[in-house]
Amino acid sequence: MKRYGEHRFPGKLFVVEGIDGSGKSTQLMLLHQWLQSEGYGVVFSEWNSSPLVRDTTRRGKKKQMLTPATFSLIHATDFADRMEHNIIPLLKAGAVVLCDRYIYTAFARDVVRGMERKWVRELYSFAVKPTAAFYFRVPLDVAMKRILEGRSGVKFYEAGMDLGLNEDPEESFHLFQGKILEEYESMIPEFDLMTVDATLPIEDQQVQMRQIVKAKLTQAKRLRVAP
Amino acid sequence: MRETYSVILPKMNLAELTGRLIVIEGTDGVGRSTQIKLLRPWLEQQGHAVLDTALKRSQLAARGIQQAKEGHTLGRITLSLFYATDFADRLENEIVPALRAGFVVLTDRYIYSLMARAIVRGLDPAWLHNVHSFALKPDATFYLRIGVDDLIPRVVFSSGFDYWESGMDLYPSEDMYESFRKYQTALLAQFDKMAQEYDFTVIDASPDIRTVFERLRVGISRALKGEPREPLFAAPVPEVGAEDSGSTEVASAGKADRPGAES
Repeated sequence: MKRYGEHRFPGKLFVVEGIDGSGKSTQLMLLHQWLQSEGYGVVFSEWNSSPLVRDTTRRGKKKQMLTPATFSLIHATDFADRMEHNIIPLLKAGAVVLCDRYIYTAFARDVVRGMERKWVRELYSFAVKPTAAFYFRVPLDVAMKRILEGRSGVKFYEAGMDLGLNEDPEESFHLFQGKILEEYESMIPEFDLMTVDATLPIEDQQVQMRQIVKAKLTQAKRLRVAP
Repeated sequence: MRETYSVILPKMNLAELTGRLIVIEGTDGVGRSTQIKLLRPWLEQQGHAVLDTALKRSQLAARGIQQAKEGHTLGRITLSLFYATDFADRLENEIVPALRAGFVVLTDRYIYSLMARAIVRGLDPAWLHNVHSFALKPDATFYLRIGVDDLIPRVVFSSGFDYWESGMDLYPSEDMYESFRKYQTALLAQFDKMAQEYDFTVIDASPDIRTVFERLRVGISRALKGEPREPLFAAPVPEVGAEDSGSTEVASAGKADRPGAES
């Protein structure tokens, strides 16, 4: 069984991390467009999207059946399915794989929910190490404003309502995201996350990101994709 | 007091769990569920409230696992984690509340089966141990042990060979009998290893149902009284005439030559 570590596959893996409202998905989408236009074979993989596991996760969330342990394990199951069936074969085939959220999301959320740090890290030790992991750092208030303006309300688990921090969803969301932010901050040195200042203009952030990605891709094999 | 294999889940107060946790382990077709059907009324007659539970029955994940297995498309790590999710759900929603209420919980398989199957499929034992380290340590684990030659006729004459129980994902071949034999042999070797590591009480499952039931009753009575494990089961069984064919097997599995194997 492969342990967490530097992979030697021909493909490259780039991941974005950050709290909700940090703008990471927008940045990843822009990177995706650019890599495609440059002729790379690019594939996008999203957190919590395995068709096999999705129904169970959805049921658990809808019925509020998830505890910190089952929340953690069902997301690890989802991740494992994508790792085994999607990410690793693609990396072997030489693709550029882009992940919106990766193991660091689990490390942050599960630990805030009370699972042991060491346990969660070991749980995900089968994951391959990204070529680069970008962390979009944003002050809590900025992120909150972006999110709450954009939608009607936050969902139960998203707001960390299962933790009983506060009865008001918005207040709970604020407290929960604040704790997640702290976890992310402590992971920057632990995992060499590349920090991007997410308060900068979108264009500037994208320039930084492309520079780093470009440097990492110079050795990579270019794949022509069918038009 | 009750312990876990290391990790204590949030909101779990071990001191409250006053019930008893009894695990029945063993491979496919060895007769675990038959024995549990007999044990339950026996325990109830003695005034114990009993919860019996088995793998793959959780509210959360049972359906998802069933669907995924039908497609035969699960990766090995994924399958393992799906089962661990299911186990955690049962632990928190069935087993723990029952233990808190003072029940005797009889569980048909536990983390050991999950780990054995995964190890046979090439996963790392240390990783698996960590994944399941939030599990409660049982008061006693009874391992119904059987040799593969005794197992095969039972399976043939009851349910027949099942895709997963034959390890067809692992040993794909047109001959299900050969796959079953290989897979179950590997699985039994793994259980034998765990019997020492996790301190199982080994019970020879080759005799008839009544004999096995009698031995289980003796073992469970002791566990419920908090008495130390009967040495009888760890050594060759000087059986009271009912059956004797399997006693040598018991001897080989029960010897504990690994001090402090639990890490």
